[in-house]
Amino acid sequence: MSPRALAPVLAMLTALFAPVFALAQMSAAEMAAMLQRMDDRQRNMGDYKALAYIEQREKNKNDVFFETVFYRRDKSEQFLILFLKPRTEAGKGYLRIEKNLWMYDPGTGKWERRTERERIGGTNSRSQDFDPLYLARDFTHEYVGAEKLGNFEVHHLRLKAKPGAKSPDPVIEMWIDKATENNLKQQDFALSGRLMRTSYYPKWDKVFSETKKAEVYYPKEIRIFDEVEKENRTTILIDTVDLRPLEPNVFTKAWLEAKSR
Amino acid sequence: MGTVILIGLRNLRQGGRRTVLLGLALALVTLLLVLLDALAAGLETSMLRSATTLSSGHVNVGGFFKVSSGQASPTLAEGKRIREIVEREVEGRDYVVDRLRGWARAVSETSSSWFALAGVDVAEERGLREVLQITQGRLEDLAQADTVMLFEAQAKRLEARIGDTLTLSAPTMGGVNNTVDVRVVAIARDVGWMSAISLFMPKSTVRSLYQMKPEATGAVQIYLDDPERGAAVIEQLKPVFEREGFRIMESDPRPFWMKFEAVAGQDWVNQKLDLTTWKEEVSFLLWILTGFSALRWSLLGVLLVVIVVGIMNAMFMSIRERTREIGTMRAIGMSRRAVQWLFLVEALGLGVLASVVGAACGAGTALLINAAHIQIPNEAFQAILMNDVLLLALEPMNVLVAIAVITLVTCVAAVAPARRAARLRPVGAIHQVG
Repeated sequence: MSPRALAPVLAMLTALFAPVFALAQMSAAEMAAMLQRMDDRQRNMGDYKALAYIEQREKNKNDVFFETVFYRRDKSEQFLILFLKPRTEAGKGYLRIEKNLWMYDPGTGKWERRTERERIGGTNSRSQDFDPLYLARDFTHEYVGAEKLGNFEVHHLRLKAKPGAKSPDPVIEMWIDKATENNLKQQDFALSGRLMRTSYYPKWDKVFSETKKAEVYYPKEIRIFDEVEKENRTTILIDTVDLRPLEPNVFTKAWLEAKSR
Repeated sequence: MGTVILIGLRNLRQGGRRTVLLGLALALVTLLLVLLDALAAGLETSMLRSATTLSSGHVNVGGFFKVSSGQASPTLAEGKRIREIVEREVEGRDYVVDRLRGWARAVSETSSSWFALAGVDVAEERGLREVLQITQGRLEDLAQADTVMLFEAQAKRLEARIGDTLTLSAPTMGGVNNTVDVRVVAIARDVGWMSAISLFMPKSTVRSLYQMKPEATGAVQIYLDDPERGAAVIEQLKPVFEREGFRIMESDPRPFWMKFEAVAGQDWVNQKLDLTTWKEEVSFLLWILTGFSALRWSLLGVLLVVIVVGIMNAMFMSIRERTREIGTMRAIGMSRRAVQWLFLVEALGLGVLASVVGAACGAGTALLINAAHIQIPNEAFQAILMNDVLLLALEPMNVLVAIAVITLVTCVAAVAPARRAARLRPVGAIHQVG
């Protein structure tokens, strides 16, 4: 059968399955709305405090375990993470002031400016793992397809960072649970197109926020796999989320230095 | 005075075994001094060679470009123009190259490590081609895009061979993650410790990794006819660049890859130039020279104290044995000063003779060691000595200084015994028994 003869057949098949494709696809507006909902429900209108346990496994190295507490003030995009354990790291912290991330080392008493892609405590985690990106605001989106991720029906989206976005990854792909709209899997790509990290979010939880008068969602567990150095992996457990207002001076160098003492 | 010298030298000859043993000790210390000097000079030569091959010219015009105040990239956005200024202004240069700089993680199938990247045009890198000893592959293949040259220790650490692919990962100048896959085309013999951290590749690869414009570079490296003129050239270039509208960073004697955090912490954006000499680029290794120098002088100090005590003891014994002779010479009219000179001439003769013999033996030993191309078996020693072959750089001035120092020390050690001999009373000395 010649290609010309195939054309009407293909046209007929396309017409026949068009409603199915339409169901599987999401419109740009629907995607934007979904991403906006995801952004909104992960953010509190007021303050946010939680414990985070970070475990790092690297090839030919001893496993590293950190106990940290992190603070967010979503309204002003402020962020702070303070290391509690092990004792050698206690008092160390990262603080975002405006668009700059600063690291404090109580050993030297010095502050050093770091970038947003800084590996927190030398692990494969970054500040974005504790302080989610603004998906709707900072990314353009493209629908890859409706897929199955294990037992979950998911939307597979490809997001490209807009110029000036604070994401260190120019492209990310997300697998979003259709039922709950929780992000279940995320892949971060380098500019070259190389896959850098795959993160899984197997457990989500929510707490009611008095300030927001709604629930705030957070991943209870994040499993990050380094796709460049395949045997490196990081696990983050988030616990004891507290949405009560924080002291006004929490997001200052002086406060972190005082805590370190 | 002629008589005094004659008597002094005769006494030296008559000293017999004592003179020979003292002379031998002095010759050995001189030999040691010459060899240690040659080793220190060899170390500095290796450091200069290693630094100027791997990471630095005799003078470097590098700098940082900051897109935002917290984000520093070791880049000269107007690299082409800066090179033109250098070529126009610097006299007494041997040649000029420009290299792209970076700091990235290299990942192999089994391992990973952080490296200082050097993007080079291998065709214009005369010094690099002369110094590197390629053990596998071809250096010329580094002209092909997305290739890399490893040093043996790096290849071992990454478990990489010719033809293998490594992934280089680093953020671009705009701050987003990027990677480049590079193919290993050459493996070179290690050039001391610095070769452990320097990774060579074509300029286009570094440009692609950092998303840099074609006119940008990392540093313009100037090789001078006289490397010691580095500081003077910097002083000459600073006002030139300022006139051309460039800002200059404050002097910070560290290699560029140790300045990232400090620069990222400073509140400025756009371009600033950083002018450094090769010594500043290897300042983190100068502790080796300082430590070696301290060790050398401590060892020599101890040996010289032993020598001084030995000489004084031998002289006092000599005076005791020759008391009647001294008394007689004083009685027939020799002045106190002449007696003093007699012993000083004796010491001077011993010092000159022994140190010349020692220096000659030391120089000969150094030449033999160099000719033998003795391989340093231990990697740690290779790293400290910055070479895989034991290199002793013999400098005539150092040999002359060694002879002068040993002779002077011998003479100084003889001053007290000579003064005692001069103070002897003729009558008492003549009647001395035993």
